[in-house]
Amino acid sequence: MNAIEIRNLTKTFGPKVAVNGLDMTVPEGAIYGFIGENGSGKSTTEKIICGLIHASSGSVRLYGRDHTDGDVRARVGVLIEAPGCFPGMTVWNNMLIQAANLGIENPEEEIIKVLKTVRMEGAAGNKYKNCSLGMKQRIGIAMALLGNPVLLVLDEPINGLDADGMRIMREVLCDLAENHGVTIVISSHILGELEKIATHYGIIRGGKMIREMTADELEASCRTYVALKTQDMNRTRYLLGCKYSRVEEDEAGYIRVYDLTTPEQIVTYLYENNLLVSEILTDKISLEEYYIDLMKEGR
Amino acid sequence: MERNFECNTFGRRLKSMLKVDLRRMFTSLLIYILVASCLVMPIVITVMVEMMEGTTPIDQQTGLPGEPIKGFDSAWQIIGSVSGGDAMGGMGSTSGEAGDQMAEMSMDITSMCNINMLYFLIAVPVCLFVSDDFRSGYAKNLFTVRAKKTDYVISKTIVCFIGGALMILAFFIGSLLGGVISGLPFDMVGFNAGELVMCIISKVLLVSVFVPIYLVVSVAAKQRAWLSLLLSFGVGMFLFMMIPMMTPLNASVMNVILCLAGGVMFGAGLGAVSNLVLKKTALV
Repeated sequence: MNAIEIRNLTKTFGPKVAVNGLDMTVPEGAIYGFIGENGSGKSTTEKIICGLIHASSGSVRLYGRDHTDGDVRARVGVLIEAPGCFPGMTVWNNMLIQAANLGIENPEEEIIKVLKTVRMEGAAGNKYKNCSLGMKQRIGIAMALLGNPVLLVLDEPINGLDADGMRIMREVLCDLAENHGVTIVISSHILGELEKIATHYGIIRGGKMIREMTADELEASCRTYVALKTQDMNRTRYLLGCKYSRVEEDEAGYIRVYDLTTPEQIVTYLYENNLLVSEILTDKISLEEYYIDLMKEGR
Repeated sequence: MERNFECNTFGRRLKSMLKVDLRRMFTSLLIYILVASCLVMPIVITVMVEMMEGTTPIDQQTGLPGEPIKGFDSAWQIIGSVSGGDAMGGMGSTSGEAGDQMAEMSMDITSMCNINMLYFLIAVPVCLFVSDDFRSGYAKNLFTVRAKKTDYVISKTIVCFIGGALMILAFFIGSLLGGVISGLPFDMVGFNAGELVMCIISKVLLVSVFVPIYLVVSVAAKQRAWLSLLLSFGVGMFLFMMIPMMTPLNASVMNVILCLAGGVMFGAGLGAVSNLVLKKTALV
């Protein structure tokens, strides 16, 4: 069963079309990386899924039920923008309030469990306003985890986290998906981090889903390239440009050849033209590069 | 395989939400400040008016002495006035001698500084309570896990009613203390103890008429507390004149029933409007 099924979703704000006939399918148990430029409609879609704003048209189904169904919504954990906490209250009291909203009887044990999950058990007595940005993000995740959710919708949850915070978050999310069967929709601009955990991707542009694929499909569609350096980069680029169809120079100063070829063939070809290769490697383009390419194609 | 989701009954949902709202209200400093103010206010008013009684203010423009300031005749005057009687218990009519007295009193300091002004003050906890929900993101958390906006409206109405009722009761106690401190007579002229109890019950129940008004304004204004307060005071002004008529000192069971009916009517009607506002507008 699909955790989320969105069909022909449209949302307009006056004359502005924020989401334009969007289709989206998130399988149960997936970590779904929801990617798009600023203003592409990611947050609007997430807010519609969570019932915070109303769609102009289209359907949103969660586990086969309408997304407004109260029983299914009680099992959705959300972190959109910032966690909804009262600044003057302690982390513990904020958690107690959310637990009561969810109707959790004797919530203390569960609060301790979720705070431990996000490695925040030591901060329960801190006032929320005194917590750092990274701590607040983790508190937000902990609040979203209350009530044993089956679906987590996280909007930019790793923003503002340091390297260790990102690692913890990554471990927490992977554990939830793998060991607890929680479906996670996560939007982030930090594609390098997303690439490490996502099992599915949805790429949105101008309010429309332009591509949905699994991590394996992404892997297959990410092209392999050969990157190299020589003592005469200008001549190398010219010679490779004559023989191969797509040759580019990357930010690190390597010349990349994207055509299906082997490093040996390139080294031989350059050697025959009196050029010695000083460095050479083969790699695949990253999610970030794939995404940037995809965005360029649409322009 | 289809997942099973536990069904949350209305009773269970309301219970948990009331628990949260009551906890929030009684852990916030604001409600204690307001209740304490309501307790102190009548004492200060009574003492000051009694101190100023008989003094003649000088008109700043003409330089001529004005009318001497009239103090309270009885300790009950700060709670309300006796209404002229007819079949409706004086609800819709202020005719006769008592009506004339009431009209005369309307320009008097003692008729302005009484319990009735609290119905404006009740807007403060309602507006700040609701705006805080939206400003902090609590509403976002809440409406994500709870699809039913009705729960929120009912819970807020009940909790704000309790808060308002506490303020009214605190003012009543303050009035008694003020009367004792100022040495005002506690003579019941034109009403008896039973009618006084009915008056207090009516005043408490009248809170339930004002709370839904302030609530609908607050949910429409969302995090803009200043706007909800401004609108609440404006809208509350229209109903201000009915307070002395609905809750005179010589109130009867009819007054209680009317206040209760008004509360139910306003609560249901404006509650439905609040619900609609929440359903039709963006919550973030």
